[in-house]
Amino acid sequence: MIRFEQVTYRYPGGGSPVLSEVSLEIQEGEFLLVMGPSGSGKSTLLRCLNGLVPHFYGGVMAGQVEVDGRDPVALGPKGMADRVGFVLQDPEAQFVVDKVEDELAFALENQGLDPLLMRKRIEEVLDQLNIADLRNRSVSTLSGGERQRVAIAAVMTLQPHVLVLDEPTSQLDPQGAEEVLDTLVKLNQDLGLTVILSEHRLERVVQYVDRILYLPGVGQAPILDHPRAVLGQVEMTPPLVTLAKALDWSPLPLTIKEGRRYAREHSWPAGTQDGNLPGTVAASAPVSVSVEGLRFSYNGHPALQDISLEVHRGELVALMGRNGSGKTTLLKQLVGLLKPDRGRVQIAGPDVERGMDTRQAGLDEIIRVVGYVPQNPDALLFGDTVRQELDFTRRGHGLPAGSYDPVLSALSLEPYADRYPRDLSVGERQRVALASILVAEPQILLLDEPTRGLDYHQKEALTGFLQAEKERGRTIIMATHDVELAAQCADRVVLLGEGQIVVDGPARQVMSESLIFASQINKLFRDPTLITVADVLRLQSGREAA
Amino acid sequence: MFNTWSWVIWLVAAAVPAFTLRNPLYLALVLAAAGLVYFSLGRTSAIGRSWGSFAKIGLFLFALAIPINALSIHTGQIVLFHLPEGWPIIGGPITLEAVIAGAVSGLALFTILMVFATFNAVVDHYQLLRATPAFLFQAGVVISIAITFVPQMVLSAKEIREAQRIRGHRFRGIRDLLPLIMPLLASGLERAIQLAETMEARGFGSAVEPLPPRRALAIQIGGLLALIVLLAGLFVTAYFVEIRTWGWAIVGLGVAGLLATFRLQAGRVRQSRYRRPAWHGRDVLVVAACVLAVGAFMIARMAMPEALYYSPYPPNALWPPFQPVAGAALLLLAVPALAAPEALELKP
Repeated sequence: MIRFEQVTYRYPGGGSPVLSEVSLEIQEGEFLLVMGPSGSGKSTLLRCLNGLVPHFYGGVMAGQVEVDGRDPVALGPKGMADRVGFVLQDPEAQFVVDKVEDELAFALENQGLDPLLMRKRIEEVLDQLNIADLRNRSVSTLSGGERQRVAIAAVMTLQPHVLVLDEPTSQLDPQGAEEVLDTLVKLNQDLGLTVILSEHRLERVVQYVDRILYLPGVGQAPILDHPRAVLGQVEMTPPLVTLAKALDWSPLPLTIKEGRRYAREHSWPAGTQDGNLPGTVAASAPVSVSVEGLRFSYNGHPALQDISLEVHRGELVALMGRNGSGKTTLLKQLVGLLKPDRGRVQIAGPDVERGMDTRQAGLDEIIRVVGYVPQNPDALLFGDTVRQELDFTRRGHGLPAGSYDPVLSALSLEPYADRYPRDLSVGERQRVALASILVAEPQILLLDEPTRGLDYHQKEALTGFLQAEKERGRTIIMATHDVELAAQCADRVVLLGEGQIVVDGPARQVMSESLIFASQINKLFRDPTLITVADVLRLQSGREAA
Repeated sequence: MFNTWSWVIWLVAAAVPAFTLRNPLYLALVLAAAGLVYFSLGRTSAIGRSWGSFAKIGLFLFALAIPINALSIHTGQIVLFHLPEGWPIIGGPITLEAVIAGAVSGLALFTILMVFATFNAVVDHYQLLRATPAFLFQAGVVISIAITFVPQMVLSAKEIREAQRIRGHRFRGIRDLLPLIMPLLASGLERAIQLAETMEARGFGSAVEPLPPRRALAIQIGGLLALIVLLAGLFVTAYFVEIRTWGWAIVGLGVAGLLATFRLQAGRVRQSRYRRPAWHGRDVLVVAACVLAVGAFMIARMAMPEALYYSPYPPNALWPPFQPVAGAALLLLAVPALAAPEALELKP
């Protein structure tokens, strides 16, 4: 169905080829996952399938591509539109029209189809993707998951034979991602549609895919094989697979259900080290943030209701909860961008004896103590070099320009210090944004979704960095959907729902008592002492020593 | 709610009196009708929120019109105070009549703006675009994208301003715009590229068939010739009064030529229409009301112009004349607000 023969591609002006001599074959009806570290050419390969590469991007291409009997290199994206449906990662940037139904009609009108036929196709697609209830909605009012499903529907109306998706869930919360992936599985199974997607959250998809294409990066040959075979060979794996490989479970489990079978054999008694959970901070450290009876409404909607919270110095708190549960609003309250309608938010600095009230203190005073890294690093970056970005923050805080080596090396950004920030990858930009907040040496660091779009390696580096900062006495509060991140580094989890605190407790306890906010390893053992791979391996090596 | 064409007709019916009247009583009636339509139908649409900005601009213009007129027109009998005669333009007596005339012009501007704001809030923009002739198709798509794009840009501008503020950014001079503008431009550009990619991938542009270069040239030359003929006809009608009929004939010829080239152009666009907007009984009602309103207004204008005309300057009376029947006719413009009771159910 799809064949690549010795495909080599170079972006215009780019030195080394992104794809070099790639040959592979994909069967009809296959559900294929494309994975690999960022910058390994996943997006480029996907864009070869409908001719966006090289038609849209230019560059030099060699070799043969054949999709469904057509040659995308010769025909270009317009000629492939009715065969290959293409969906991008940003759910906000792919709509032409504001109303869902009109958006679905857009491609069909452009093909000049008969109105009756259009009507039929649109009704069918609305039902197929289960979005009939959205038909009259404006795109701007949809949630991320709904938008991506509408984007899929908009290409499905052309009845393509292949559906290609470039990280369709990387910007979504877990619920939204689930919706989208369920939809894809259904399309693949019910219609036999060939689905090809790239994705970072492997734990969500590996169980559904038929094969995995692993792109290791420049110079190395890609691996295309069944999921177990590929995951056995590569380093970037979900926690479950990482653990299984460390403990030599074979064949590799891909789902919790399969993993449980092995876990039971290990017969570790539940709650082995009960009463003394590692990683809980004593509440003896001075209070760094204190929130009392905070209430706040946005345009008449109650966004935060009666929030009371105390965070101590050196604590790492994960704020979790559904989209729209008030996580970002709470962070903005802590940095004084929003002021409470009722209640108090107090921030303590390193040398301020008494806390300052965000309602009285000016923003300039607050940001000397509190740093806030927004969800989207692109909102910050404007300079010509990374160094300039850091200088800008120092100047803004009235601090002299300094040497940034410690910060840069802690975030492994040294090689990029003089690069143009916007040319860097998502993970690197995220780190530059983090660095440009950290140079002001804030005592309290607030992070909003720090792992959006990061691969496993980048996430691991971020976890290590956050732990080091915490040990240096920084207070860190992060809003995140990423359960594994919270499992690895949070001391405490605060769960928000409808603007209220639902649960507030030690991370291990909260996560092991929750169904949705439990890490993979925790679901495997259902033991509060075992929530990360490292926990299990520590226990294992302890046993072997004994 | 209503058919797009009903709204277009409503717009014309409301704009004609708003543009041609200077009588504050009738203007107030048109304004009231537009306000009623907005408050019963327009508040639900996302883009309808821009109504508030229109209102603010309108009030600003209104407030501006009064001093401008009062300071520059010095006729009238009721003198409020004197400015030194030596001052250019503004020197001389400041009269109540000039203040009132300024307020009336301001009211006219405000009414025109509010009629457009209401139309903007109630009409389905996509349907409106689809109602554009086929040869304007490309322009229509560009506008539709802009409409979807702008709210996103506003959101990201807010996000950027907050993020930079936390880094200690303060706005002191023009140079401080850079940290705000750069991320906005860059993210807007990235978004535009992504959108272009999706449109390309969905086969956009295959709707326009390329013409052989010779035919394209022929169509362009034909269009130009038709335009010249049209202008020549207008020239003849304007300057050679005795052969005016011939002039109009030439104008007609030019218009026909232009229409023909548009038709040829439109033939290239191979696209179909998903759904023709439905035409309901209530649309008939709205159109009938609009036609009646405009018709009555035109008849009143011809039969008794003195009942519509207003100028505060002597020898006219300060209080504007009012003809109840003409006023009632203008109130018919509020019919859409009454004819669509189910609009209330649409509200979330």
